[in-house]
Amino acid sequence: MLRFVVRRLLLLIPILIGLSILVFLWIRALPAGPAQSLLGERATPETIAQIEEQYGLDRPIHIQYWRYLKTVAQGDLGTTIRTRRPVTDELQERFPATIELALAALLFATLLGIPLGFVAAKRYGTWIDHSSLVASLIGISIPIFFLAILLKYVFAVQLGWLPTVGRISVLIDLEHPTNFYTIDALIAGDLYAFWDVIKHLILPAIALGSIPLAVTARITRAAVLDVQNEDYVRTARAKGLPPRVVDVRHIFRNALLPITTIIGLQTGLLLSGAVLTETVFAFPGMGTWLVEAIRQRDFPVLQGGILFVSFVFVIVNLIVDISYALINPRIRVS
Amino acid sequence: MSVAQVEAREVQLEALPSGLWADTWRRLRHNPAAIVGFVLVGIFLFVAIFAPLIAPEDPRSGDLSRLGGTCCPGPSADYWFGLDQQGRDVFSRIVYGARYSLLIGIVSVAVGLSVGLFFGAIAGYFGGWVDSLIMRCTDIMLSIPGLLLAIGIVAVLGQGIWQIMIAVGVTQIPIFARLLRGSILATRESDYVLAARSVGVPKRSILASHILPNSISPVIVQGTLALATAIIDVAALGFLGLGPQDPATPEWGTMLTDTTRYLQTAPHLALIPGVAIVISVLGFNLIGDGLREALDPKFRGRG
Amino acid sequence: MGRVSLRRILLLLATALLVVAAAGCGGGDDGGGGGEGGTLVFAGAADPVVIDGALVSDGESIRVITQLFETLINLKPGTTELAPGLATEWEVSPDALTYTFTLREGVKFHDGTDFNAEAVCFNFDRWYNFKGPLQNPSASYYYSAFFGGFKNNESEDLSDPLYESCTAENPTTAVIKLTRPSASLLGALVQQAFSIASPKALQEFEADKGTLDEEVGFRPTGTFGTEHPIGTGPFEFVSWTREDRLVLKRFEDYWGEKAKIDELIIRPIADNAARLQALQADEIQGYDLVEPQDIQTIDGDENLKILDRPAFNVAYVGINQAKPPMDKLEVRQAVAHGLDRQAVVDNFYGGRGVVAQQMMPPEVEGYADSVTEWPHDPAKAKQLLQQAGLTLPVEIEFWYPSDVSRPYMPNPKNNFEAFAASLNKSGFRVVPKTAPWDPDYLGRVDEGNAGHLHLIGWTGDFADADNFIGTFFQDFNPQFGFRDKQLFKMLDDAEVESDRQARIDLYKQANQRIMETLPAVPYAHTKPALAFRQDVEGFVPSPTTNELFSTVTIGGS
Repeated sequence: MLRFVVRRLLLLIPILIGLSILVFLWIRALPAGPAQSLLGERATPETIAQIEEQYGLDRPIHIQYWRYLKTVAQGDLGTTIRTRRPVTDELQERFPATIELALAALLFATLLGIPLGFVAAKRYGTWIDHSSLVASLIGISIPIFFLAILLKYVFAVQLGWLPTVGRISVLIDLEHPTNFYTIDALIAGDLYAFWDVIKHLILPAIALGSIPLAVTARITRAAVLDVQNEDYVRTARAKGLPPRVVDVRHIFRNALLPITTIIGLQTGLLLSGAVLTETVFAFPGMGTWLVEAIRQRDFPVLQGGILFVSFVFVIVNLIVDISYALINPRIRVS
Repeated sequence: MSVAQVEAREVQLEALPSGLWADTWRRLRHNPAAIVGFVLVGIFLFVAIFAPLIAPEDPRSGDLSRLGGTCCPGPSADYWFGLDQQGRDVFSRIVYGARYSLLIGIVSVAVGLSVGLFFGAIAGYFGGWVDSLIMRCTDIMLSIPGLLLAIGIVAVLGQGIWQIMIAVGVTQIPIFARLLRGSILATRESDYVLAARSVGVPKRSILASHILPNSISPVIVQGTLALATAIIDVAALGFLGLGPQDPATPEWGTMLTDTTRYLQTAPHLALIPGVAIVISVLGFNLIGDGLREALDPKFRGRG
Repeated sequence: MGRVSLRRILLLLATALLVVAAAGCGGGDDGGGGGEGGTLVFAGAADPVVIDGALVSDGESIRVITQLFETLINLKPGTTELAPGLATEWEVSPDALTYTFTLREGVKFHDGTDFNAEAVCFNFDRWYNFKGPLQNPSASYYYSAFFGGFKNNESEDLSDPLYESCTAENPTTAVIKLTRPSASLLGALVQQAFSIASPKALQEFEADKGTLDEEVGFRPTGTFGTEHPIGTGPFEFVSWTREDRLVLKRFEDYWGEKAKIDELIIRPIADNAARLQALQADEIQGYDLVEPQDIQTIDGDENLKILDRPAFNVAYVGINQAKPPMDKLEVRQAVAHGLDRQAVVDNFYGGRGVVAQQMMPPEVEGYADSVTEWPHDPAKAKQLLQQAGLTLPVEIEFWYPSDVSRPYMPNPKNNFEAFAASLNKSGFRVVPKTAPWDPDYLGRVDEGNAGHLHLIGWTGDFADADNFIGTFFQDFNPQFGFRDKQLFKMLDDAEVESDRQARIDLYKQANQRIMETLPAVPYAHTKPALAFRQDVEGFVPSPTTNELFSTVTIGGS
């Protein structure tokens, strides 16, 4: 087991290096040129010289890369053009927002998706099964931003049940030690604020979680169907174990495997989808941050954001792989 | 195994690909969801190809005098999908929009498919360090979430329809590469190929008549699904404002950006392009799904 | 077995729905009990650029600055009449070169320092002494527009400074001397660009530090305008989180009538529909830049109301003559004939616009009795282009701002599309170009980097022709890229003309010349609307769109 983990960790390194090279080259491929892109100015000769010195733009490319790698490793992702703040500062504010949203979406998708898939599998071949398949297909065919607009229109505008924009009502004054507003509200013991934050999360989470919901339901159904016909299940049934016990102890547990993998793979989808959902709900997370950055050519933000998000993505995949191995002994041994 | 048996097996192998297709087609025909998919895609293709004949008006030119000072008349007998804020016929724009979506889908998938298959084939066939290198590259590309990768590419290429098509296409390259490579690897090690090799059938013809045909089926499934994804992803980029700089372009995604402000007074402007996207994408997804089920050997047993 | 599972799922769903429904009962966040106190949340369309009057020209920054800073002279609320501000009395010397201001006593800045003549002169001198990037029009637009130039002009395009000196004769008397007579100094001083900031804060927080980006303009780097905008106004600064909220609170030591609300929060909500939705949900209590198609919705909602501002603006298509073929008069005439202005005004202004025939509104003195008119005539346009010796279609770059809504241009994209369509029918081939409003678009326009044509407008700051056509055309302006010595002279003369009638005549002549030579094509004057919740009272809409929130109350009677 340990060897497996170590092996996967070692594999991580070339990927991360490759990623940094990709982003490094990307900055240099930008039409505005690396200096202007990173600092948003082409001002006085002194500033130009300063830029060149700092980034070693006059040096050969491998030296440039080395310096770049060093600064990134030290946690310096540069300064934003628009607000002149360190990228890492803004990252600290924005990233928790998106994580909160993504987790809410994932929660929605799994809490609803797994039972739905399970029921569909149990009712294989009936109209329930067929309609759940069709429903999930429709789910992945609806663009996230369109669904977000529809939800907003119906529930926020027409019915007025939920708020339209933001993470929290303007009138609530909350300290943000963690920048996870739900946790911050709990720390402050402010239940009204907590409830308000949840209200702001509901619609975006449903929109963002729509595709993971569809996929989870399908995969669960497929996994349960597969497992159902395995020998050990038939044996358990033959032994006379009550159906419910068979369901939980054998079917469900073994179906968990592909389900867990899928949940891990949703991360990429969630991160991409967050960009769209946040835009519709003016949710101040990574998504809106990156979209504004690209509109205003704030390349330090784009560089830092893409690097960071990909880094997180890779780590999450690693964790998923490891937990997959933990659940499935066969992988460990091979 | 005797030589005779192996040769007989070879004949069987030759027969397999065509048997596979007939089999697949039969299953698809009996799958109601797939049929719906074909119908939807059929409508989509028909509309896209015959757009100039179907659309009553030029999608780019509007007549402000038809608006009567407010926005915007909804669906009516004269204008089936209503008018938009520039006095343009929404029906015509949707019809031409199908063309854009078709073009977008094809170009993006073509880019992803061609480049991806090329690398996937090399990786799968040669193996060894070539394989590792290519796989590491795809890992890196896959480590950046799709939309962000596309946004990064658009940052380099600039705004515009062609740029986002290429950007979306590039995001699909690693998927196709891995797919073909995995497929080739699986087929390569299968019994009948090993048998053929052991008898001395030349590598080239093994590749051509055994490996490739059997690897192609997941690619076809993925291609259909990729088409659906491409349409949505390009619409997403258009929605974010990274699409064509000319707002008159009748592209469904861009049509959605422009019209969210009218949800209270003219919801048809946002709802209709959105539904159009959903229907077309659903069609491709249904077909892709049907294909997957039809081609999957596990399901074949269940009937 | 199966039945139980299904039922459980349905139960789960039902619970979920109940939870969501209960969420609805959480409902509206009101600003607090009737009358005094409470928090007012107001939404603009974008974040302010920086909270430093001397360095901005955009409405959002000015909105905030108006609450925090004050000028020597005010406008009577809701009008364009002059009234005492930080100066209670003023005297103009007969030669119109010396202005003596008697300053209000007992006024303090938010940081506790005293407001006095020294502070006034410190501010005037600060602007006069702007160097380097600060002299760029993207930084000190209003200053150079009115005062012409600085102590050490670094660019040929700046003219000789109007300002000579400021002397603090005693703590309550400030004397300003000009280099040449000006008839409109008093009117000009109501603009927020000339508001008085705390000298201590200006120095301590490096208000003058900044950098210049060739394409996009000036960017300040000190913290005065982002964290310490200290003035004398009825509100003081609390905090600013970009893209989220800017919080102000009542200044308890204000010299005049204190603000009625405790707190004012200004939120940027870029999306028009989102602003309306937020108002309907009572998440905000008012917002600016109401889109024309929403006016009906708001009027029909008994919880909301529309407040109209008197019309005092002009929307126009700017022409950059530095980019050929715009230097040819026939081409500009073709543009004027090619634009279908009536259609745009009829359809995109919610019934609150009129077609503009001159570059200033009819209410301002100096509006010409008649000027050359340019009816929509695509055939004529093509003819003119051919006369100019060009092959059709003539390709031109036409810029419009994205992500923004201006009082004179609620939906730039709509205006753009309609104009581009009509130009395309008139012998042109429009290449659409767009950029985000701030800082890109504004910077480009100010520096003459916005193609051949661009969409923009102007809301008047004070009721004087100088504020309109003087600002645009009195000197070489990179935005328009031309040197018309005759026009410059007309406007220069008008500015210093002390005889009112003669002045009016000069401006009339200038307007006639403008509509003959077409440096720009005006197309609309509008009454920009604001939307509020019914229980918000005391807000006085101003033609200049600079309104104080200190008189506002929420709820109750």
